[in-house]
Amino acid sequence: MVGSARVSEKSTPTPIVRLRDVTKSYGTGAARTPVLRGISFDVDRGEFVALVGQSGSGKSTLLNIIGGLDQPDSGEVEVLGVDTLRSTDTRRAGLRNQSIGFVFQAFNLLDHLTVLGNVILPASFARSAADADARGREALRRVGLSDLASRRPGELSGGQKQRVAIARALFNAPALLLCDEPTGNLDSETGKEVIDFFRELNAKDGVTLLIVTHERRVSSVARRVIAMRDGMLVETSDEALAAAHGGPA
Amino acid sequence: MMPARSLVRMIAGNTLRSRRHFVLSAFGIVIGIATFVVFLASTEQVGAVLEKIFPVEQVQVVAPRASLLGKDISKKLDDAIVEKIRSRPEVDRANPTAVVPRMALAFPAFGHGSFEGNDLRFEVGGFADGINPDYVQDDDRTRELFKDWDGVKDDPRRQACVPPPPDPGEEVIQSPRAAPRNPQPGVYYNPCASPERYYCSEVDRTCHHRVPVVMSPTMIELYNGQFAKSHGLPVADVDFVRFVTARGGLGAMRFSVGLGLTTIAGSNAVTARKAHRIEAVLVGINTKAMPIGMTMPIQYIQRWNREFLGEEAATTYSSIIVRLKNRNRIAVFAQWLQDDLDLRLEDSLGEKFATALFVIRLVLVLISLVIIAISSINIAHNFFMQVTERRRELGLLRAVGATQSDVLLVVLGEAALIGLIGGLIGLAIGVALAAGIDWGSAHYLPRFPYKPSSWFHFKWWIVAGGLACSTGFSVLGGYLPARRASTMEPAQALTQN
Repeated sequence: MVGSARVSEKSTPTPIVRLRDVTKSYGTGAARTPVLRGISFDVDRGEFVALVGQSGSGKSTLLNIIGGLDQPDSGEVEVLGVDTLRSTDTRRAGLRNQSIGFVFQAFNLLDHLTVLGNVILPASFARSAADADARGREALRRVGLSDLASRRPGELSGGQKQRVAIARALFNAPALLLCDEPTGNLDSETGKEVIDFFRELNAKDGVTLLIVTHERRVSSVARRVIAMRDGMLVETSDEALAAAHGGPA
Repeated sequence: MMPARSLVRMIAGNTLRSRRHFVLSAFGIVIGIATFVVFLASTEQVGAVLEKIFPVEQVQVVAPRASLLGKDISKKLDDAIVEKIRSRPEVDRANPTAVVPRMALAFPAFGHGSFEGNDLRFEVGGFADGINPDYVQDDDRTRELFKDWDGVKDDPRRQACVPPPPDPGEEVIQSPRAAPRNPQPGVYYNPCASPERYYCSEVDRTCHHRVPVVMSPTMIELYNGQFAKSHGLPVADVDFVRFVTARGGLGAMRFSVGLGLTTIAGSNAVTARKAHRIEAVLVGINTKAMPIGMTMPIQYIQRWNREFLGEEAATTYSSIIVRLKNRNRIAVFAQWLQDDLDLRLEDSLGEKFATALFVIRLVLVLISLVIIAISSINIAHNFFMQVTERRRELGLLRAVGATQSDVLLVVLGEAALIGLIGGLIGLAIGVALAAGIDWGSAHYLPRFPYKPSSWFHFKWWIVAGGLACSTGFSVLGGYLPARRASTMEPAQALTQN
């Protein structure tokens, strides 16, 4: 399987994600708006964590910082043993390429590439792109889109697009999958299929999942839920979760 | 850094997918490079033609003019000077005609001839010089005819003859014709065995070969451009001599010269001998002839100068033509001339043309570089728009493992590829334009001396320089947008529309 091999290679006793007092603000001077206020938590290998909270609570920013797509103002961020705050751009890029997969709400597929071309895009930045096509087709097979390899994203439904995005995220068999509202643009039926796929991925392949969501049905399948409000973590009680989701539990 | 193969594939894919972006970005480059290569190729070719007319490696040594109380005290150019020059390391000694002295006809002379039935009279004194015949033998005709015929021993055609009777109303009579099939009684005809080439000299009453003369193409240009028009005379063809002699034989180019005679009023040149008439014949148009005037084998000039002015005039050269090993040696050679011999190089027309051409080339290249630079700004503008439009895409590349350098290289590579393709298209347009101009020139421009078969010479360095310019300026234009793309926060790029 695509994911399990790499997880076993990289098994380590330390947490896969380790955050300490992470802060982040946007703007300057009087317009400076704190987004994250001293966030600290760990994610262990093989966990399925849902990061919930209302819009503007800072969960997407936190996810981007974990994925090395954004930098915090202060604190410590360690992902797969790499201090992403102090490491070089090349090291962070290598980490994203080899060990982290991203799934976005807006799919972010490149329309000028075929489905397979989108899936194997990470191979363009890997030192070795051997068997890229074969690995891309295997990833597509896993998400059930083997027949659509030569199609363009514009010819696909929303659900199919998201599955292509997931196949791309799984292409390099990452140890950590970071998903930002992966079902946000999908109907409930398709969203359920995607969630089931994630659950299976976590359970069978041991891929660590950190999903940002404000959908109850997503967080309900996670083994751990971390709630955020105004840039801070809140307790994970049912009430807090309900508040974080913006309604009663 | 991403593998080169992936980089190239990504650059090619990105560049070719947006025709609008490509056309907007490459348009200026195409125009700029087309003008760049056309300007350079044309000035290169014009330079080559000019170099043929005025060889740059070839310089002319002259003595600076000096006078004291109206008397010429200029340094004398003689055989000793010639030998000193010949021994210099800058001189191309492998060439037997690397050092060629010229001697001017130093006393008055007056010419009389006809061309296409028109009576022509002209001054020869001051407009004639002599040169080593070996230096002028560029074609079969000059090889055969341009030599010192009076120096030929045992010429069987040097027979005794009766010269034409003097004409009291004409100091220099027109050179008499050969006898026709039915000669008219009482008319003097050329009595020599080969009247096409020989005439009867009034000095020793024997037949002499006419003095062979060559003229510069500049003379034909002057004749056609000024003289023929103002005097209602026929225009001369580029192969002037060949053209005339084809119709009238070599004798059609003959003319008489009255040595020691002049039409210039007030001339007080002192000559040691009584004026007399000789005959000459134009045997060719040659670039080595003096630009304004006529050139003959130097032995004739030496004899006449000795005869009319004395030994001093027969051993003093007017200038010395020197062919150097290459043009870079000119400065060293000129310095030696000035320091050691108190001589100088003549400001040649060739150098002036070369300087003018250099300035023209500089201006044209600057114009094309300005066009390219403006197109570089246009590329920058388009790429800024592109980078903004492709924020999500670039953010995605970062998300899947691209480094800042990778993104920089991708965008710069796209700029370079647009520049390269634009350059190639510009080059093709330039070559096509040149072909069109050459076609027009061949069909609509009249023939003239040195008219090239092509007005353009696309040397390899022009092509390479054009492509390097187009690529370089495109990369320059794409640099700032590429930097912006590479330093974008991926998280923001991925979330913003």
